[in-house]
Amino acid sequence: MRLRISTPGLEARRRDRTSRILITGGTGFLGSHVAAELLKRGYPVSLLARSNEKPAAERLQQLLDWFGLPDETRRRLRVTEGDILKPMLGMQSPVLGDALNTTDEIIHCASNTSFSARKRPQVESVNIGGLSRVLEFAAASRAYSFHHVSTAYVAGKVSGLCSEEPVAGHEFHNVYEETKNKGEFMVTSACREAGIRLTIYRPTIVYGDSRTGRSLRFNAVYHPIRMALFIKDLCEKDIREGTGQQAMALGVSFESDGSAHLPMRVEVDKQGGINIVPIDHLTNAFIALMEGAPDGGIFHIAGDRQTRIEDFVEYTSRLFRLTGIRACTVGEFEAAPRNSLETLYEHYVGAYAPYMRDTRAFSRAKSLPILARSGIACPGFDYEVFKRCMLYAVETGWGARLFVR
Amino acid sequence: MCKIDYLGTGLCASGAERHFVTFYPQGRMDLYRGLAEGLIPTTEALVESADTCTLCGSCDKQCHFATGMRPLKVMAALKDYVHEHLAAGRPVLKPPADGVLESLREITGAQWASNDPAVLMTYSDDPSPLTVPRMPRYVVLPGSRDEVSAVVALADKLNIPFAVRGNGGSVLGFVFSDGIVLDMNRMRKLEIDADNWCARVGPGVTAFELQQEAIRHGFRVLTAEPEATVCGNIVCTGIFSTWSNVYGTAADGFIDMEFVDRKGKPFRLSSKDAPNAFAFENRMTPSPGVCTEAVVKLHPVTADEEALLVPFADFEAATKFAREISQRRLALALAVLGRHYMANFISPSAELADRLKRFLPDVLGMPYAVFAIADTFGRDAVRKLAPSVIDGRMIRTMMLSLPKLVEREFEQMARDYEGDSAPWEILSRPEMQVLLQPSPDTIAGAVDEDLRDFYRELYSRPEMTDFVWLNTFRIVSARMGRDRHGVAIILYVPLDKVEVSNRIKNELDRIGEAHKLEHEYGFLTPLDLGKRAVFEYDYYFEQTSAEEKERVRQALAEIMPWLARFSTENPGIANMMNIFSQGCSRKESFLYRT
Repeated sequence: MRLRISTPGLEARRRDRTSRILITGGTGFLGSHVAAELLKRGYPVSLLARSNEKPAAERLQQLLDWFGLPDETRRRLRVTEGDILKPMLGMQSPVLGDALNTTDEIIHCASNTSFSARKRPQVESVNIGGLSRVLEFAAASRAYSFHHVSTAYVAGKVSGLCSEEPVAGHEFHNVYEETKNKGEFMVTSACREAGIRLTIYRPTIVYGDSRTGRSLRFNAVYHPIRMALFIKDLCEKDIREGTGQQAMALGVSFESDGSAHLPMRVEVDKQGGINIVPIDHLTNAFIALMEGAPDGGIFHIAGDRQTRIEDFVEYTSRLFRLTGIRACTVGEFEAAPRNSLETLYEHYVGAYAPYMRDTRAFSRAKSLPILARSGIACPGFDYEVFKRCMLYAVETGWGARLFVR
Repeated sequence: MCKIDYLGTGLCASGAERHFVTFYPQGRMDLYRGLAEGLIPTTEALVESADTCTLCGSCDKQCHFATGMRPLKVMAALKDYVHEHLAAGRPVLKPPADGVLESLREITGAQWASNDPAVLMTYSDDPSPLTVPRMPRYVVLPGSRDEVSAVVALADKLNIPFAVRGNGGSVLGFVFSDGIVLDMNRMRKLEIDADNWCARVGPGVTAFELQQEAIRHGFRVLTAEPEATVCGNIVCTGIFSTWSNVYGTAADGFIDMEFVDRKGKPFRLSSKDAPNAFAFENRMTPSPGVCTEAVVKLHPVTADEEALLVPFADFEAATKFAREISQRRLALALAVLGRHYMANFISPSAELADRLKRFLPDVLGMPYAVFAIADTFGRDAVRKLAPSVIDGRMIRTMMLSLPKLVEREFEQMARDYEGDSAPWEILSRPEMQVLLQPSPDTIAGAVDEDLRDFYRELYSRPEMTDFVWLNTFRIVSARMGRDRHGVAIILYVPLDKVEVSNRIKNELDRIGEAHKLEHEYGFLTPLDLGKRAVFEYDYYFEQTSAEEKERVRQALAEIMPWLARFSTENPGIANMMNIFSQGCSRKESFLYRT
């Protein structure tokens, strides 16, 4: 199928800022950051958002305030109520006709990032069913470019270097990896048939802004830390308001200086760690790749190196005044079985294990040169970055008070 | 609910003594409205009603538990009004007795028949959108079958219409009349015949009172809402509940019934020359007469009965599961509950129920649950068939921790939880007890501060979190229309074709949306080993809004013809509207219409 637009034509539309971009998942973590950055850079953007308890436009205003976007920037934004689970994204005429005729590019960020097998129907519904609906819309529209936000973890259960190529025939750690992998094939086939240019972005695990610590989501890398603090707070409450038996059973105690002792081993792989990228890098890298690779391709957006879990343990202990948490290898658990606290912790964070002891590395052979041309490099992760991000998380109640003025 | 002492906290003393609804808190609320709207003058009965209220406050507790209302303020306002009225020397109306009233009083005794406008007003209306107020000319409280016979004979002779009232309203207005209203509240015979596994029940006996007596003797009966009279319920629709899974409905519930016919002649259904009330006609028909006694069945109880919930994400899967449980005879009480019932049944306040209604599907992922009460063997079998269950202990934890359960802290934790246990299973973990603090104190935190001591004491009683007890007495089901009045669409449906129930539910959803009404699936209970089921769907409206009432009427005008058409295409559907007054029928007569 002939492409719907030539490379020079696309570049000209982008340069003139006449290319209107529709973003799905625009109220989510990645989608909202990409949308805000595109708006700042002068692109006309349409956000597809569901109405839930609050109308979509009202929720968007809250988000735009959070980003501190000025009014003149907001004027480039259109909000379209819709639902990717419905045919034609739930739009009805005349809104649908307008969307079909004015959408030049689509950034598909909407995704269900759950790992849990019990959530398979919901994950499949969004990552497969929702993607199909978006692709049907794309084919029916005049869109000439499709930007698909995937994940580096489509690589599945492998170790070693993962290339920026399609991945087929692997086993996966969870339904999220599996559906995102399948999604890449779907999107490749649909775009080829429709003559739509395709770029696939594969970020690793995304956390808050490395410069400010700000974030909109506090799962993924935040979750294991949050659960350790959750258990600590519960024990404190138990001692203060209850019998203290729960704290005693878990072996948690508190020192007179306010520090807490949590006798807990966290399993690590000496060869592995966790690959994380801050949202500011993801946003910049995304736009650099979008603009710098008009012919599309598959690109990893990953950190320069794995962050060791030992570092997380050390940072967490230092910032939150915890003692007793230490990293250990699987061999130690075989020698001394898990205690109550370790069993409890494992119950809440076990699903994240494949990413905490990850031996996968992600090639950036294609992405790095393009990012280098734009002078973009992934910021490092150290105690100061960790501290900024975690203090923001605590300050906002892990998201509960995010929009409270 | 102010006529039964369902919390064991005492009844309004004047009501128990005077029996007219006028002397219960419910009646006084009507009187105050009548005065405020200029519908009635200050009469002798109104003054007596106000005088006999001691402002003891028992109505506040009882009413708040079921409806969230605090009637005590209205009682006080009524008393203040009367006090000021008398102090100002204004007149008090004492309507003169006419010949009919004299005759009625000759039958029942002077104190049990009245034409006082205040009394009449308390028997003239209810919040249903399908009724219009009808002021009777007389209200009479017969004390025996012979008195009922005499009153009915008199009405027949004088050609005066009459209606019979049990304990409350009727969605179709059957308890209103321009002539005489017979309030059966004084006929309170209640005798347990253990040898014959039955109880003899007068028409003034409520479901709660009968159940209490049955349990005291080690039995259980099939009853409806606790304040409903047993006889009235049987005659009206036949009794159905979650227990209908094993106890059946309609004629399954009784051994014999005594009636007085429209001429005043008594008869028993078991007589060979009695009218055939066991047959069924698929249209609205009059009742066999005025019920003066029911001989209802008693059922055995075992000490190991417990409740459990099996959560489901969709209605069809839940219904199929309930059907299987029924077919395999594994449970006693059984139902597919929707989020509205679950949330309202266990929440002590409407605000909390509202939050829980969203929390159940969104956070816990359980918009539906199959509710079952079973003995040890049954529960073991259900556990083997179910993907995951919430047992009695977890139900108790959920109930006692509700205000903390719906707080952001737990919600975030449950939402972000990526483990393979279901979110509700986290509830049973020991550390969660610290977070949720399930206790009478915690649940009491959901109500107004001045009621907290009362609720704390109430929820310290084990039965208040025991779903077997709660379901046996059905006291929490009275909460379903707590914040808004409801109109129920009740149908019998074929359960072997689950898609039929699903299509009905979807269409009722659609009509609710189209008419901008609050609408919710209610419950479904399998019958007759899972061959059929009783299905309820509810529309809610603000009873003081004429505009909302009109929208309900318009919705019903769309529903009824659709249901009639759908029923002809799908055998096994029967509309409860057509069963009204035929509650004595054999259930087979309307479930299987060949």
